Amino acid sequence: MTKEEANGATEEEQQAQSKKALKKQQKEAEKAAKKAEKQAKLAAEQQSAEEDDFAKDRYGVSAMVQSQQKLDRALVRVEDLTPQKVDQLIWLRARVHTSRAKGKQCFLVLRQQQFNVQALVAVGDRASKQMVKFAANITKESIVDVEAMVRKVEQKIESCSQQDVELHIERIFVISQAEPRLPLQLEDAVRPDGDGEEEGRATVNQDTRLDNRVIDLRTTTSQAIFRLQSGVCQLFRDTLTKKGFVEIQTPKIISAASEGGANVFTVSYFKSSAYLAQSPQLYKQMCICADFDKVFCVGPVFRAEDSNTHRHLTEFVGLDIEMAFNYHYHEVIDSITDTMVQIFKGLRDNFQTEIQTVNKQFPSEPFKFLEPTLRLEYTEALAMLRDAGVEMGDEDDLSTPNEKLLGRLVKEKYDTDFYVLDKYPLSVRPFYTMPDPNNPKYSNSYDMFMRGEEILSGAQRVHDPQLLTERALHHQIDLEKIKSYIDSFRYGAPPHGGGGIGLERVCMLYLGLHNVRQTSMFPRDPKRLTP
Amino acid sequence: MSMYQVKPVSPDIKIDLPTCMYKLSNIHTRQENSCSLDHVLQNGDVDPAVRALEARQDEIMRKLYELKAAVEGLAKTVTTPDADLDVTVSSSLSSQSSSCDIFKATKNLDALLGKDLGALRDIVINANPAQPPLTLLVLHSLLCQHYRVLSTVHVHSSVSSVPPQLLSCLGPKHADSYARHMFQLGFTLIWKDVPKLEMKFSIRNMCPIEGEANVARFLFKLLAPYPSDAAVATLVDTWVDIAFYQLADGSAKERAAVLQALGSALGHAPWLCGPEFSLADIACYCCLSQNGSTSATAANVQRWIKSCENLGHFGPAKLLLK
Repeated sequence: MTKEEANGATEEEQQAQSKKALKKQQKEAEKAAKKAEKQAKLAAEQQSAEEDDFAKDRYGVSAMVQSQQKLDRALVRVEDLTPQKVDQLIWLRARVHTSRAKGKQCFLVLRQQQFNVQALVAVGDRASKQMVKFAANITKESIVDVEAMVRKVEQKIESCSQQDVELHIERIFVISQAEPRLPLQLEDAVRPDGDGEEEGRATVNQDTRLDNRVIDLRTTTSQAIFRLQSGVCQLFRDTLTKKGFVEIQTPKIISAASEGGANVFTVSYFKSSAYLAQSPQLYKQMCICADFDKVFCVGPVFRAEDSNTHRHLTEFVGLDIEMAFNYHYHEVIDSITDTMVQIFKGLRDNFQTEIQTVNKQFPSEPFKFLEPTLRLEYTEALAMLRDAGVEMGDEDDLSTPNEKLLGRLVKEKYDTDFYVLDKYPLSVRPFYTMPDPNNPKYSNSYDMFMRGEEILSGAQRVHDPQLLTERALHHQIDLEKIKSYIDSFRYGAPPHGGGGIGLERVCMLYLGLHNVRQTSMFPRDPKRLTP
Repeated sequence: MSMYQVKPVSPDIKIDLPTCMYKLSNIHTRQENSCSLDHVLQNGDVDPAVRALEARQDEIMRKLYELKAAVEGLAKTVTTPDADLDVTVSSSLSSQSSSCDIFKATKNLDALLGKDLGALRDIVINANPAQPPLTLLVLHSLLCQHYRVLSTVHVHSSVSSVPPQLLSCLGPKHADSYARHMFQLGFTLIWKDVPKLEMKFSIRNMCPIEGEANVARFLFKLLAPYPSDAAVATLVDTWVDIAFYQLADGSAKERAAVLQALGSALGHAPWLCGPEFSLADIACYCCLSQNGSTSATAANVQRWIKSCENLGHFGPAKLLLK
């Protein structure tokens, strides 16, 4: 009985279920039919549209460029679109920066690096309704080839870099399509820090930027930063070459840690291990001992420091200088400071547009410097700091806040963002630093500062193997480990000195930015190894 | 009653005497010597030691008299009451040039600029290359004769280029310029795009001093005190103001009036403010020669210009005018 009942119940249930399912099916069928109808209608519409689209070979997605043919088409650059080009029919390739459809017209902003221009597709004898629709639907950041007539505009276009002309598009082909969803919007990425918060508009945070570096690098700010960085490198090379320096290349895989031994990356090297170079110091010095007289090198430098600050990277580009001098290590200081001043002057005179572009997003005071560079002695700096109420021992090293404070004091008195601090206490410098001949407490060493942050640390090096051994023992360094270093001075070594700067840090401080990751193209820090 | 003899308890034992105490000579043995000394004195003979002492005393007295005479001589040459012992120092420092004799008194830099903190006292002057501060260059060369001055010239990034004579206007580099701590005073001239000349010294305790005239007053006080007579001090100040407001910046009419006033002031004294050369003369001379109006002037003004030039302080300023 109970069984039957149970059976009956399940049957009923089944019936009910099947009824439901039936209903569902019916509905779905209806939906499908509707959809099909719609699609048919759409297709028909499209067909009809295509049929009477007179301009259908004037737009479209072109086949992937596989170097099928070599066109002799001259492409004009966006930056060259000036009133002189008015009424010319030109071809150009650019990215779609924004597009905005408005009835029978579609406004596009085409961008090429930091330049952009307004373009217009309007229904007329050249463009059809469908072409306008197509143009409006091109995704942002897609690359397009455009044939257009350059026209003068009545009112300046404030939002574009080319303000006097606009393009009237006659043909438009998509060369490479971007995905419709961008991980970040370029307009958000160039918005000045304060503005976004006030108006409730989006800004892009540092990590999103770095994760999508390819898009972030397309912004005008990034374009300007890295053009300026390339300028720094170029000016560094040019100035030093003019001064008679020789560019050298040094190995980055080394057998022993060059400076001290801490903060060094270990890599496996066949059956043993090796280290990544922390600085080209040893090799620079060996080149001096090999009579190259004055050398510099530009290359990556690795520091295994687990510090997550605004100014530390684990890999950065080092610009290193080493030179033999005649009688006084100030010859070295003069060479380095003059090189820096030439770089600053070159940037001031040739990269003003880039500096202005970066300033729009990250406002800062222009970089100020003196020529020749101001040189202060450590004792003077101490006196200035003590006068400002800082308590410090004679032989203490400068702490980061004190460095900044000193930078402010120096700026106030001398109005310079770049200066040299000379004669550091011997106890805070590495063992290879030459002691001061008149006062054993001090040394022939110097630091250089930009906007109150240290960018270069250098010294006259000990070039006498005996003194070097003494100094190493005093610092309790295992002589066995630095044997080859000491040995390189055994066969006659000229007196020499030098120093090294970090390219990223110099760019950051020159532009007054607040994070070294902004000036490193693909930054490496303890928490980031990609992209 | 005879006593019986006892053997010494400690025959020939060496006693370790503590070394931490004074040693005294045996009293018993000295007694005989003192007797002989008394004997000598009674004889009326003079002990040679006493004679030597007397001779030394005489020598000291002689030296003291000599010193007294020397000081009296010095006191005659030093007329200013503020003079202190730096005179000898400064005269040895300034021995290279006799032209600075006008400033007989130099004050201690500690008293003038505050206590030395172990760092170079650096005077920073920001000047516009379009208007080189001639007076300050003159004062700089005077300062160099009195103190060990570290002079440096810089170009600020706000100025793109500066004529070479402005870069060398503080003279050749000092041979010791690599060691800043060896100098008493720093004189740092920065060519900068400033509307008005300014001087910075101690940024914490002093606001910047603006205007060439005011900086000149500050620098001049390092060389010589202002006249103690308030009337004369005011006169100096007035002439300095006249020089900068009417000679340098004034109209042709004003300048003519100043030239006339110069003529009458120089009629009854060799210098503008009486018998002594002062800041007034430096300022007026510089502003006058800046205008190039040194030629067509009265006879006593011409004579005054000549005597200024004869002093030899105006070399650096004249180099710039060429």
